Amino acid sequence: MSRAFLRSAVGLAPLPPRGADLVAFIAWGRRHHILGQLATVWEQESAGKLADVLANARIFAGHDRRMLSYEMNRIARALMGTDIRPVLLKGGAYVAKALTAGEGRRVSDIDILVPEADLKAVEAALLAAGWKPEVSTAGAYDQHYYRDWMHELPPLRHARRRTLIDVHHRLTPRTACLQVDHGAMLSAARPAGDGSLQVFGPMDRFIHSAVHIFADGTFDTPARSLIELYYLFADLDDADQVSLRDRAREVGALWPVDHALWAVATLFGSRRAAALRGKNRLSRLRALPVRLAVAGKLREGAWARLADVLLYPRSHWLRMPVGMLVKHLLQKSRRMISPKSAVAGLPGRE
Amino acid sequence: MSGSWNGSVGPEAMKRLADHAVRDVAAALARGHLVLHLGPFALALRTDNAAARDFLVSMYANCPVSLDQDTMADFSLHVRPPNLLRRFVRRQVMPDPGFYFPSVPLPPRMGPLALEMGMNMAVALQCFRFAIYHAAVVADETGAIVISANSGGGKSTLAAALMQENFRLLSDEFAIMQPGEPLLLPYPRPVSLKNASVDIVRAFAGNDAMSGVLHGTPKGTIGYRRARKSDIAAMHRPARGRLLLFPTFMEGAKAEVKPVEAGDAVMRFIAGSPNYHVLGEAAYTSLMAFADSIRAYDITYGNTADSVALVRELWTQGGAA
Repeated sequence: MSRAFLRSAVGLAPLPPRGADLVAFIAWGRRHHILGQLATVWEQESAGKLADVLANARIFAGHDRRMLSYEMNRIARALMGTDIRPVLLKGGAYVAKALTAGEGRRVSDIDILVPEADLKAVEAALLAAGWKPEVSTAGAYDQHYYRDWMHELPPLRHARRRTLIDVHHRLTPRTACLQVDHGAMLSAARPAGDGSLQVFGPMDRFIHSAVHIFADGTFDTPARSLIELYYLFADLDDADQVSLRDRAREVGALWPVDHALWAVATLFGSRRAAALRGKNRLSRLRALPVRLAVAGKLREGAWARLADVLLYPRSHWLRMPVGMLVKHLLQKSRRMISPKSAVAGLPGRE
Repeated sequence: MSGSWNGSVGPEAMKRLADHAVRDVAAALARGHLVLHLGPFALALRTDNAAARDFLVSMYANCPVSLDQDTMADFSLHVRPPNLLRRFVRRQVMPDPGFYFPSVPLPPRMGPLALEMGMNMAVALQCFRFAIYHAAVVADETGAIVISANSGGGKSTLAAALMQENFRLLSDEFAIMQPGEPLLLPYPRPVSLKNASVDIVRAFAGNDAMSGVLHGTPKGTIGYRRARKSDIAAMHRPARGRLLLFPTFMEGAKAEVKPVEAGDAVMRFIAGSPNYHVLGEAAYTSLMAFADSIRAYDITYGNTADSVALVRELWTQGGAA
């Protein structure tokens, strides 16, 4: 069912024709927070209540887009006078480059990547420009968790605009088993807008998206993630498509990229992606549980809950070695039992 | 291709809630297939709470509804127990608009309150096609009176009183403004009344116009004055604002009127909007046109008769728009 929905969502298949199916399709889009993406594909061809629903989503996404553009402007301004040019990651980059992957996308925060050597200077500049440490992660344990183990600073929230920024210095946690060569990707970044900010090249955008989706977290927004991959893949020119796996190997992100190519090939029926996939049977076999879990998440309901049983421990496993993980989970559970023992909130905010 | 995927039947072809068998209504409600078509919105409702269902059947009797699963809705609302345990033990009910929202679980008899609060939330937090402002709106053929929500200002009581003066009800809760144009759209749901207002309105509107009364809610005693058949019949007819009021009720106070400068009025009005910033320029354009078409006043009064006399005077003063 939802594989068909995915194809309709990007315009590869028509909308479900019957009333009840169409209602179910829109309900699915709402649950997965992709009504804005559906609007960019289908609003022009809709009428009546469907057009209303899609227009509503388009207007909401337009607000996120304005917010994001303004935040980019503010970040560039905060760093004015330094020679630091942060790389916009994910949604920020898609909006800055006006990519299909950014159209209609809901955004709640902005992610940037800077060289680790510049981290202190960037944090100081943002604090001076009105960002403050986010209250829910201001506790000592969370600060230590982010600063010593993670790939980003504890989130900062702007005091007046209430917007969140995640400042990354690498693409996976320091403690993660997968370490991507972010240096190589940083040096291949290119200017965005007036040049005070940068974005990754098209291949690296796909690679980072694949890493984020398949090598970090519990795949909580499956439809949104898969649609993003589909559009990013479609944005690669022929030469980039052919070089994609080589580049992935070069920066040490081959297995997440193979998962991503599998998803684009299987779920969206892309022959190009299918032709590029690795031929190694053993690695395909090893990838099977994760792919079954992804399919389960897409089917929702009991299958999704079953998939979580696999994906939740996996997400932690990917983030840190076992000994550390045990200590971290103990800390988390202690906080669940007596929430007042720490300032507030759990680490590992998605 | 256009027109083939519209996902709804024209509201004119639709039956009123009262034309359906209560059994069918209950079955559709239990499965979330009841879609209420009111003004610009279609709202899919789901509940098995008996008090909420009875309230709906009585208070929304004249509204067009569809009971099939083929009808697209703008928003959906599930009035349900907070968890499985509270379905059976010390039962509770709360509105669930499909996204996280902090709300107090209520005893099952307060289902109507959960329903009404949920319907407000669903629109206030998810509608972006129109700019929404927290205000009551009534109108006659010449234009609309917009009563901004000051806490304890008595907007609902005043709206109910003006209904008695032959104004039609657009909304007790939201001024819904078309983007680009200062047109106010009707969303005629029951008028929510608190504490002493319940009996004040009952005294002039009559018992048949009122819902049952809920005592001991987190907001005190709550009762509703129903939207009339004529209000529902005019639910697709927008109105142009002529008067914007900021009411203050003070026990025993002398009636008083103070003009409010347009820029000031507009800034105060924006403060009551949950989505003005989301619409951006489209909301700004219509609001500026609105500011040009209205006169704004702070009004203070000590009883309902005074407030009605005062509004009458301001209304005739302005002459025809």
